[in-house]
Amino acid sequence: MTNLLNDTQRAQAAAAPTKSVAVHARGLVKTYGTGPAAVKALDGADLDIHTGTFTAIMGPSGSGKSTLMHALAGLDVLDAGQVLIGDTDLTALGERQRTLLRRDRFGFVFQSFNLLPALTAQENITLPLGLAGRRADPDWLTRLVDTLGLRERLKHRPSELSGGQQQRVAVARALVTRPAIVFADEPTGNLDSKHGQALLRFLRDACDDLGQTIVMVTHDPLAAAHADRVVILTDGRVIEEIDNPTASTIADRMLQLDADPNLDTHACSGPGFGSGSTQEG
Amino acid sequence: MFRLVLKQTMAHRGRLLLTFAAITLGVTFVVGTLVLTDTSRAVFDDQFRDASTEVDIVLRDAVAFDAAMGVEVERDPLDPQLTSRTAALPGVGRAIPVVKGTGLLISDGKAIVPAGPSMLTSWTGLDGFTLRDGQAPAGADEVVIDAATATAHDITLGDTVRVQADREVDLRVVGLVGFGDADGLPDTTVALTSLTTAQRLLRLGDGISQIDVIAADGTATSELTEDLRATLGTDVDVAASQDTAAASAAAAKSQLGFITGALLALAGAALVIGAFLIANTFSVLVTHRTRELAVLRAAGATGRQVMASILGEATVLGMAGAAAGTGAGLLAATGLRALLDAAGATVPDGPTVLSARTLLVALAVGVVVTLLAAFGAARRAARISPVMAMREGALGTTGGRGRVRAVFGTVLMALGVAALGVGGAIESMPALGAGTAALVAGLVALAPIVAPAAVHHIGGALSAVTGRGVPTGLAREGARRAPRRTGATVMALALSLALVVFVSVVGASVRGALQSGFDEAITAEIVVESARGEMLGGLEPATRERIQDLDEVGTVSRLRFGHWKDSGVTRALTALDPATIGDVTDVDMVEGRLSDLGDGVIITERQAAERGVGVGDNLAMTFARTDTLEVPIVGLIDDDDAKALSTDYLVSLASYRDWFTERMDATLLVRPASGTSVPEAQKAVEKALTGMPTVEVRDQASAAEARTASLDGILTLITAVLMLTVLIAMLGITNTVALSIIERTRELGLVRAVGMTRRQLRTMIRTESLLIAIAGLLLGTTVGIATSALFVRAIAQGGDLHLQVPTTGLALVAAVALLVGVISGLAPARRAGRLEVLTAIREQ
Repeated sequence: MTNLLNDTQRAQAAAAPTKSVAVHARGLVKTYGTGPAAVKALDGADLDIHTGTFTAIMGPSGSGKSTLMHALAGLDVLDAGQVLIGDTDLTALGERQRTLLRRDRFGFVFQSFNLLPALTAQENITLPLGLAGRRADPDWLTRLVDTLGLRERLKHRPSELSGGQQQRVAVARALVTRPAIVFADEPTGNLDSKHGQALLRFLRDACDDLGQTIVMVTHDPLAAAHADRVVILTDGRVIEEIDNPTASTIADRMLQLDADPNLDTHACSGPGFGSGSTQEG
Repeated sequence: MFRLVLKQTMAHRGRLLLTFAAITLGVTFVVGTLVLTDTSRAVFDDQFRDASTEVDIVLRDAVAFDAAMGVEVERDPLDPQLTSRTAALPGVGRAIPVVKGTGLLISDGKAIVPAGPSMLTSWTGLDGFTLRDGQAPAGADEVVIDAATATAHDITLGDTVRVQADREVDLRVVGLVGFGDADGLPDTTVALTSLTTAQRLLRLGDGISQIDVIAADGTATSELTEDLRATLGTDVDVAASQDTAAASAAAAKSQLGFITGALLALAGAALVIGAFLIANTFSVLVTHRTRELAVLRAAGATGRQVMASILGEATVLGMAGAAAGTGAGLLAATGLRALLDAAGATVPDGPTVLSARTLLVALAVGVVVTLLAAFGAARRAARISPVMAMREGALGTTGGRGRVRAVFGTVLMALGVAALGVGGAIESMPALGAGTAALVAGLVALAPIVAPAAVHHIGGALSAVTGRGVPTGLAREGARRAPRRTGATVMALALSLALVVFVSVVGASVRGALQSGFDEAITAEIVVESARGEMLGGLEPATRERIQDLDEVGTVSRLRFGHWKDSGVTRALTALDPATIGDVTDVDMVEGRLSDLGDGVIITERQAAERGVGVGDNLAMTFARTDTLEVPIVGLIDDDDAKALSTDYLVSLASYRDWFTERMDATLLVRPASGTSVPEAQKAVEKALTGMPTVEVRDQASAAEARTASLDGILTLITAVLMLTVLIAMLGITNTVALSIIERTRELGLVRAVGMTRRQLRTMIRTESLLIAIAGLLLGTTVGIATSALFVRAIAQGGDLHLQVPTTGLALVAAVALLVGVISGLAPARRAGRLEVLTAIREQ
């Protein structure tokens, strides 16, 4: 993959202010089920995501990381709490407005079932624009397709593409509307490591070169290491944020969480706690 | 195993609901037909059996055949002396003379016209009628009627009713009778009078219709029958009363045969169309459960067990459908009766008969059709390998054998088209039938290839017109992704619409030919006919007597119909008056003249060609009262003009009188006196015929219309019934679209996630069902028109029948199809709209 921008553009992008808040979430609560079977997927999660950053959401299975992303992306409705997307209060929007918000301002990459099998790669890429009744900006589309190496595959249907190609088509689709935020849910989950790494590097470049805000859910420390910041969730709360993470710092933190079954996240929420049973690496 | 099957079926009951409905509808139809005809048959049996309970033997004039085309032959009266002669014979206990005929009841100036016969019979006290009130008729002015008619028309003892037979007489009601437990006979009015009164009303002189014989004590009926035959000779027909009852019932029932056949054929069509729907459902169920079935295989189930479990579900579903269909069929019988009634085909009503055979047929039909339809899916399920349990996204699409299918289907279609072409050219019905079957089979085979392509192109055209963009585009793709399913759905609708189109085109063509033939050949300005459409015509001879001497009337020429046997085959003939027929008709004769008919027969050119005979040859004709005669052929008539006179064989009224006992006129062709306008003459004729409620006076144009009335009725009936198949096809579309939503849940979740609004999603689903409907409409109309065009040519056999495509009819069909498309998409669209995005994405 080549870079999306030339040097001048990169310089401009870097000079742009990147510290404004793209997503501002407070006190998110989401419960599934009722009665004794009820599961609190989110239990008062707070989170800010800055414009132009690449954020990874991590946490053990059942920690609520997918629910958090769905809530931020307007795919799920919260029981309590508030999510601001720029100036827009997502939690106050109706179903139709949330759909339009997703269509026009968000991009999505899922783990699997990312593409419509009946459409060609090109049709899949332009799907959100088609739904909005708009045409793709040809220059932008060309640049995306070339950067992602999809030029030769545009007329193919998903069944004729490799897993990596399919996922790149999904990324192109996510970026084609020049969205405010791209949400990626385990985007490398179904890819081998080579393709997975390539995809992550591309997301990293999109963030660096274009100032693209990216929120990614993953359980893979290697994937999360591409992010500017890792947000760790346990039992429905954000318990830790790691800036400029490396794979090993993340892995250690995760191991720590896994190794202490008696960890009381309610008592020790926030960064900086440690049981001392694992070593910093 | 059975419990597992039952549990599986119940677990999928939501998805099986429409399938269940389709099976139920098909079975309902079959059961309704069987119950209706069984009930009517039972009525006929009772009617004729009870009528001769106490009588052992019936003596009648001997005839060559008892009944033709469901009409009992009328016999000559017996010599009254025969009664005393018979009574004196050894072994005879009693011999009772009986007169039987038709007598319309008129109460308060209003005729009572039942759907069935108006019976007029002399009182014997032996024929099943029992007095409910009053006394038996004795005096010349006394009559006894059935309690049911009396109740229905508010007639009480002491009232006067008019009985109209060959004479009209006012009679006093002195008694009311029931019949067995019932208050009367179904769809029948009964008038019982003394023997002499009946003879007077029917102008029989001292003639009698039959003699009822009761054997003396200790004499066996069979022996007495033999003795009487030996003594009375061949002129008298001696029959055990049970046999005559059975024969009469059989004659009445033979007419039901046509109705049963036609209804069962339509029920068959409904079942075939339902089968498409069932096949689709099971195919989707298997696809959707691939992983589950693979787990079963991995756990040790054999392929055969998996197949058995799918077929087991089909059996459970079939049985449930059969049970529900049987219940609904009992109700449907009533509806069918009403439909038949509206179409002018009345069947008698009685206590509902649900025979064991009906139950067995319902069960067999429900289970067998479901099993056959599910077989393909079950076989596919058996081939699922255990590995698929582990594989991610194993929900493979069903394709495969596409080329075999394409070749097979194309060959079948080519054969069908060829057979249709040849059949059309040589005007052979069997070739056309085989051609149609092959064409349809080929289309069914090609459906998975043709239908999705059709849907795709129609979708393209639709987007070009509406410019609706992505949802329409996705709908096109949606219909294309499961070709076999889309194909079956389109074909189900196409077949049902093709049937409707076929019936309406053939109907319109035949109708047009009938009318134009009548218009050209019949020049009489006024036509008098019976409104009841009896097979042999229903005008009492008195009808002609009342009008022939009117000043306003110039010529009255009558036509009569009769049946004869042509080496065992029953045929109809028309009797006409050679002296007057020229005044009221204008027919083309190929050879000879109508006025020279004499005691010969004129046949159509086509019949002459088929038989290889011509003028100067003889035609062997068997009549009920004469046995076989060699009748000289004295002329040949143009085929189309003969149709205006209703049959291919014409004889003179004088010959008719010699060969037939029947005295009913079928049609009176009337020409006004010179100087009298048609409306004047018509008014005079109508006035003269007041009080004859079953007689219809029409001008030439409306007479031509009336010729097609019964045809119209039947066409309406068939179309109405065919709408049921359209309904099933509609369920099929709903089913297909609903199932494809289930199958595509994750996909729908994805498009919703990336920004498709609910409205867009609903539009997409509705468009999908509309596209299927339009494809079905185009395919069905094409097949329907093509086959009916060839059939019309074959029926015409070079005659005056031309293809007429009823534009209003077709527009209606198109409207119905589009409506079907819109309606069948509603429920699935609503359901898809309610889909939660997240649930959809998470769906496995």
